Amino acid sequence: MSTKEELLKRLSDGVVDMEEDDVAEAAQEYLDAGYPAFDGIMEGLVDGMNRASQLYEEEEYFVTDVLLCSDAMYVGLDILRPFLPEEEGNSKKKGVIGVVEGDTHDIGKNLVKIMLETAGFHMIDLGRDVPLRKFVDTAKEEQADFICMSTLMTTTMGGMNDVIRLLEEEGMRGQVKVMIGGGPISQKYADKIGADGYSQNAVEAVKLAKRLLDIA
Amino acid sequence: MLTPKERLRTIMEGKPADRPACICPGGMMNMVTSDLMEAVKVYLPEAHTDAGRMAALAKAVYEKGCFENYGVPFCMTVEAEEMGAEVDLGSCVYEPHVIRYAIESVSEYRKLAPVDVEAGRARVVLDAIRILKEETSDVPIVGNLTGPVSTASSVMEPVVFYKELRKKNQEAHAYMEFITEQLIAFGRAQIEAGADVIAISDPSGTGEILGPRYFEEFAVTYINKLLDALQEEKLGTIVHICGQMSPVYREVDKIHSNVLSFDSVVPMKEAREHLKSRVLMGNVSTYALEFGNQDKVKTLTRGCVKNGSDIISPACGLGMKSPLANVQAILTCLKEGQV
Repeated sequence: MSTKEELLKRLSDGVVDMEEDDVAEAAQEYLDAGYPAFDGIMEGLVDGMNRASQLYEEEEYFVTDVLLCSDAMYVGLDILRPFLPEEEGNSKKKGVIGVVEGDTHDIGKNLVKIMLETAGFHMIDLGRDVPLRKFVDTAKEEQADFICMSTLMTTTMGGMNDVIRLLEEEGMRGQVKVMIGGGPISQKYADKIGADGYSQNAVEAVKLAKRLLDIA
Repeated sequence: MLTPKERLRTIMEGKPADRPACICPGGMMNMVTSDLMEAVKVYLPEAHTDAGRMAALAKAVYEKGCFENYGVPFCMTVEAEEMGAEVDLGSCVYEPHVIRYAIESVSEYRKLAPVDVEAGRARVVLDAIRILKEETSDVPIVGNLTGPVSTASSVMEPVVFYKELRKKNQEAHAYMEFITEQLIAFGRAQIEAGADVIAISDPSGTGEILGPRYFEEFAVTYINKLLDALQEEKLGTIVHICGQMSPVYREVDKIHSNVLSFDSVVPMKEAREHLKSRVLMGNVSTYALEFGNQDKVKTLTRGCVKNGSDIISPACGLGMKSPLANVQAILTCLKEGQV
């Protein structure tokens, strides 16, 4: 019989090593042993994903590696999540994320979503080639705290500006932070269109979101 | 005075020329802007499917003093579409993009249609090259190909593709072989039609996404396979890779093209230090071209020359709203000898 610490380590290592089967097995053993699902997620799966992010930041891991780590994490989450106690209230900060209209490159967006979810944000993913109004409408319906937009193409980056203008027209700009990123995007562009922040990669995006929303 | 074609040939051969060349290949490196379309009254998206219009827009790029080359097509979806992906041709401001993939896994590649270069938009591109060849002489014609990794990840969902490079490694290689064969057929047909230069852009095959090991195993291997299979009879080849090069300089240097081109995140000075013996192209910020002014563009142009770029070009595709005067400032600056 493994101890709780051993199982947490297996969950974390399984994520880092991209081993979905190991994670699934460890998650099941962890539940069978009666340990709390919440700790398994935070100290096992999320810990592994954080280690993967660290390796990404150190350029030991690359985008493809992180995608496979996140697959392993989600396998574990699917097993542990049903055993979480009912959440008291909904304290998670909510974000709307998508690739702007005209562009279908979503690798970077997916990575940012994964990292933000791992960091505890509730993310609503609109996918790619997202009509600009959809960002604003969804943010309104869901009372989102922030919007993340990305594009890989110079030709479509102007859409980010339009979304900010739409937020202003709707009188929502004060309540919704706007973060942008993607190949042709820069801090300079963020300043120009009045976005609240730019991040160069997914790890930076988490730091930025936390800073913008005053989360330690 | 060298003609634009002679200048590019000289530079591609690694010899000293009277001044740096100034080109923008087309393909992913879009050089068509709203101003340019207005100037000649030929518009996208119609020019994506009509050889006469495609050639007319390509000619306008040179005639309006933007760049010293012709280049077609103006997107990177021709290959994927011919293999069965569904493409939205976009509008006058949005580029064509894939809206439905043809397959769901690398192991399904046998279901794909081989590229028929005499049909569909592949034919349009070849006809446009033939028109340019027929009607012009001193300006190099650039035929563009979407790189192997980028084509492979346009025909199927990129996230699945990237994962399968590892999980279904052997089948991923078989798939890449198939994709590369299609690109070879299209590239060879472009040269036969009259293309002087073949430019390959592989924005999805970056070192940042793949990491050095997979970058070499998939991007470099198949780009080289493609380059090596093209005819000798041409001025040369250009390969454009997006993203940071710092993790993969060693691997990039193994690419067999005459010219290497990078986007604006790569400092030209750094690229020059790592790739001492290579002909380098780049990399005037497309942000400055769209939102800056002519002085800023000229400053950046001089910076590129000073830091070791042999062929001055935009760092990426031009934004549609880039003012014509800004775009022209690169070439004006080089011609004025202000470098």
